Amino acid sequence: MSTQPCDLEDLQIKECPADVRESGRANVCEGCPGRELCLSQVSKPDPDQEIIDTRLKAIKHKILVLSGKGGVGKSSIAVMISKILANEGKRVGLLDVDICGPSIPLLMGVADQPIMDSQWGWKPAISSDGNIKTLSVGSLLSSGAQAVAWRGPRKTALIRRMIKDTLWGRLDYLIIDTPPGTSDEHLTIIKLLAAAVPDGALIVTTPQKLSAGVVSREIRFCQKMGIPILGIIENMSGFCCPGCSTVSHVFSSGAGDYLAKKYDVRLLGHLPLDPRLAAVQEKGCIIESACFDTINEIIRKIIIIIQDLQTL
Amino acid sequence: MSSIPEDAPPHCPGTNSEDAGKASACAGCPNQQICSSGAAQAPDPDLDAVKERLSSVKYKILVLSGKGGVGKSTITAMIARALALDNSKEVGILDIDICGPSQPRVLGAEDEKVHSSGAGWSPIYVAENLAVMSIGFLLNSADDAVIWRGPKKNGMIKQFLRDVNWGSLDYLIVDTPPGTSDEHLSIVQYLSSAPSVAAVIVTTPQEIALLDVRKEITFCKKVNIPIIGIVENMTTFVCPKCKAETAIFPATTGGGKQLATDAGLPLLGQLPLDPRVAQACDLGHNFLTEEPDVPATSAYKDIAKKIIEYCKNQMQHVMIR
Repeated sequence: MSTQPCDLEDLQIKECPADVRESGRANVCEGCPGRELCLSQVSKPDPDQEIIDTRLKAIKHKILVLSGKGGVGKSSIAVMISKILANEGKRVGLLDVDICGPSIPLLMGVADQPIMDSQWGWKPAISSDGNIKTLSVGSLLSSGAQAVAWRGPRKTALIRRMIKDTLWGRLDYLIIDTPPGTSDEHLTIIKLLAAAVPDGALIVTTPQKLSAGVVSREIRFCQKMGIPILGIIENMSGFCCPGCSTVSHVFSSGAGDYLAKKYDVRLLGHLPLDPRLAAVQEKGCIIESACFDTINEIIRKIIIIIQDLQTL
Repeated sequence: MSSIPEDAPPHCPGTNSEDAGKASACAGCPNQQICSSGAAQAPDPDLDAVKERLSSVKYKILVLSGKGGVGKSTITAMIARALALDNSKEVGILDIDICGPSQPRVLGAEDEKVHSSGAGWSPIYVAENLAVMSIGFLLNSADDAVIWRGPKKNGMIKQFLRDVNWGSLDYLIVDTPPGTSDEHLSIVQYLSSAPSVAAVIVTTPQEIALLDVRKEITFCKKVNIPIIGIVENMTTFVCPKCKAETAIFPATTGGGKQLATDAGLPLLGQLPLDPRVAQACDLGHNFLTEEPDVPATSAYKDIAKKIIEYCKNQMQHVMIR
């Protein structure tokens, strides 16, 4: 029996068209199992885009927190950035588009706040710490154990509503926390933000090569979608033993530097593993720790980068 | 699972109904054409092909979490390697994490390419009795972004199940991405035609992980996948210098142990955070054979033993061939 190597060409698998309006119509859609579904859903120009653009125009800066890899600390970092900016007097919103695994309500201490519907739209939950407007599907569930087992199109529809139907009001910063992967949620949010032009993406990785392998795909995704990469944050970078102060590389080392070099992207900083942070964040409050000094520095850098990008 | 699409109008009869596309409620629905053509309810011819392929796979174990970064891929590989230590058993790993496939690297097979023949796609053998399939093997370069929407991911998973020529397997371990979405719904849907499926749920001790894992347990119950038990990973870290033990991810609400109790499930094991495991996965080495005497290795072997016991005692396997 003769065998030959398979590659993507042989299997006729190509990437979905980046522009959702092309879904089902592009050359690559030929033979795709999802073609009929895509064609049935995308037939006319999006009537909601104008409302979406209006909502987003009232928000000065939109920052995506991406990784590709799960469990690297995207949500924790999104929350820390939001709180530090809010503490400086900025008007901040935090949007969680992780439909299956929404962590933000717990981290923001708003798990008990329901989302109220008003004639002007959904009113996001407000954190007691910093008055941060927070929206997550976690706040829309009736119980914490309720599973949101939705396929792509349904997730896409909800994310649209989270922008279109939400009373974000005037904000200085909207931080957008994303799930792992490069799929429906990411394509949707990027498409929604297209006219509003996000400032860029923060890429989070852990030090492990395994993480670098997955995160490199996310970087390529951003490059392909034309999203500027504000920089890379390497999280869980070393653990300082409370007993003897030896620093151990619990999750190996090197991924942040490797990715920064390979893709010519800024390395914004290394955040250490801090057990106190994990425990305290779950209670929804902020503490002073080595992490926060580093995160503060990172935010200074981001603000300068955003300002520089705007003057270009 | 509901057959009413998200964008259906009120009083949608459901895509499986005889009136699909033809009822008065269907007027103006974007899916009307598909439904009335019968395409939405036509039986999927591939399901029989999937059933046929899986009939020679004795036990299918899904490794699930809901939360990302808890060690699903690492644990999948370790469990599979532990099961494969018994040379009389044939083990397979199916990696259905389409966007972030880790198995090729973890198993040291990053440069391998899949070959196809009349009998189907040949999985990659990383040991005499351990085969693996992942989209990672099908990508032209290691950092190609797989930017696919749900339906396309589903198609790939179906293709894996239909076309991969595993031969006879005692165990097929399925590595999944985080969440409860397309990939999970699809694998459950396609495996529902084959008996002997069960899940292992992985968590880390902190509440932020348990939050997602509870949803995964709910999901399994909803789709009737029995759960073998819970594995808690990264329980404690032992400093290599002073041996002090620290809970880096503190179990503020009781960790995996409490979760197992609350859910009425066995706790299969608690794995320590051993940096050598992360290193071995980065290099694609077999940690179990490189470090046979460390606590982490015993813990993995113990978990594998419990899975074997469960399969023997609880899972009815019907061989069609």
